[in-house]
Amino acid sequence: MTKPNEERVDHLFRQQYGKMVAILIRIFGLANLELIEDAVQDTFISALKTWEKKPPDNPEAWLTTAAKNRTIDLLRKLKVDDQRLTKINTGPSTIALQELFLDHEIEDSQLRMIFTACHPLLTPVDQISFALKSISGFTVKEIASALLLKEDTVKKRLTRTRQQIKSTNISFEIPNKQDLTERLERVHQVIYLIFTEGFHSGKKDMLIRKDLCGEAIRLSKLILKKPMVRSGNGYALLSLMCVHAARLDSKLSPTGELIDLKHQDRSLWYKPLIDIGRAALTNTEAYQPAVSSYHFEAAIALVHATSKTFEETNWDFIFLNYQKMYELYPNPFTIVNMAIVKLQQKQNQTAIELLNSIKPEQLQQREYLFYGTMADYYLAIDNQATALVHLDTAIKCVSNEAEKNYLLKKRGKIKLSK
Amino acid sequence: MKDFMMIFLGETYEELGLTPEQTQEQMGKWFAWGNKMGALGILKEGHALHAPTTRVVGAERTVSDGPFVESKEIIGGYYVVSAESIEKVVEIAQDYPDYHLGGSVEIREIIVFDQA
Repeated sequence: MTKPNEERVDHLFRQQYGKMVAILIRIFGLANLELIEDAVQDTFISALKTWEKKPPDNPEAWLTTAAKNRTIDLLRKLKVDDQRLTKINTGPSTIALQELFLDHEIEDSQLRMIFTACHPLLTPVDQISFALKSISGFTVKEIASALLLKEDTVKKRLTRTRQQIKSTNISFEIPNKQDLTERLERVHQVIYLIFTEGFHSGKKDMLIRKDLCGEAIRLSKLILKKPMVRSGNGYALLSLMCVHAARLDSKLSPTGELIDLKHQDRSLWYKPLIDIGRAALTNTEAYQPAVSSYHFEAAIALVHATSKTFEETNWDFIFLNYQKMYELYPNPFTIVNMAIVKLQQKQNQTAIELLNSIKPEQLQQREYLFYGTMADYYLAIDNQATALVHLDTAIKCVSNEAEKNYLLKKRGKIKLSK
Repeated sequence: MKDFMMIFLGETYEELGLTPEQTQEQMGKWFAWGNKMGALGILKEGHALHAPTTRVVGAERTVSDGPFVESKEIIGGYYVVSAESIEKVVEIAQDYPDYHLGGSVEIREIIVFDQA
């Protein structure tokens, strides 16, 4: 098989994996999760073997048939409780099983899977790995690479989640009304985290980054399809992801260097995605007055995405949104962003007051953002020496390779202007 | 084209004492049959039914639980297919997988009033 073909197969498998796992869990129960995932994996391995000899005309249909056959194969292998077994011990029961392979039922199963993966009884730090594996069909290797974790760590997280699912007896359902709002919030968070992993990742491998962003967008669209789980926050989340994703291609130079907003080639921004983002943000209006930080982030992203040049950016509007965001969700990152806006507006004094109001440790592993912004402030007031000190601190605490190179480059320029 | 209901009568695989392997084989045939009809575009709908039956009967609306018929007469489910004639449906029903297990297919035309 040729290279692009392999990529396509990978992509197809990833898409089909989540579907098959979700359908089979619906039939055999979450208790069989691990065996189900193994079985689906087997199906792909045998598919690859068969396809090497003769690729099918319609690979998707081929895989669906394989999954159906796998269902009855699993019947003998899995321990299924009596209640489930009586449903599947007649020929006509296949009529009901066939239903589950229809598009709308697959979507329903996948929604159940998303809500299950975001169950509050599961450890939050494990949820992204689990979602990427069981919903999105990423391999352990891909997850490790995308999340910058060791493969062993990913394996441990997956095992822990599976054990928790078993021991806590979580049901494979979309929660009822009382629990829905809270769970939906967690679902949005997990999707948002998958997206930011892709968008801010230090990986130079553009493919895996696009896959992560694309998967986050796909999941959020899936959630918006169903009226019961549709929400203003969901639309705001979709909006901000689309608008950000539109810039993905312009964020890295051909040699893998990070390009900041000011220097990005705006003609590379993908307009159709920006349009989807704008439409999604308009859709949130039907759900007012409920707002989330996603609303503000989307509004801000949209201002950036639609201003013709960096200089023409409507900083006042952006600052106002950060302010409102901070009132609702006090957060040190928002303060840093507000300071950055003030520096753009040449209101240096306000900027430094904002920065002095927080402690860099509050930003945890993104502490370098604070020092980077401090450096910008000192550059703005022509204090190169102090700017250098802060830049060096920023370089010391940044872990992301692309960000580090960006800062190093910036440092190089300061020396020259001395 | 007219619509017909194929009603499937027969015992459950459990009652028949089929081994898991035999059950798997039968279900494989059912899947294949459903896929074939689906691909031909003649399949309109279908449902599988649980075996336990409750009947409400008489002026007193007496409620009683089954079984009311021999287990080989129990309806396991139905498919609705469109076909030119009942003969064509008989042809379609040749693929029903459970004849050798004592199962049978009952074919009935669905009454529709808005057709000529």
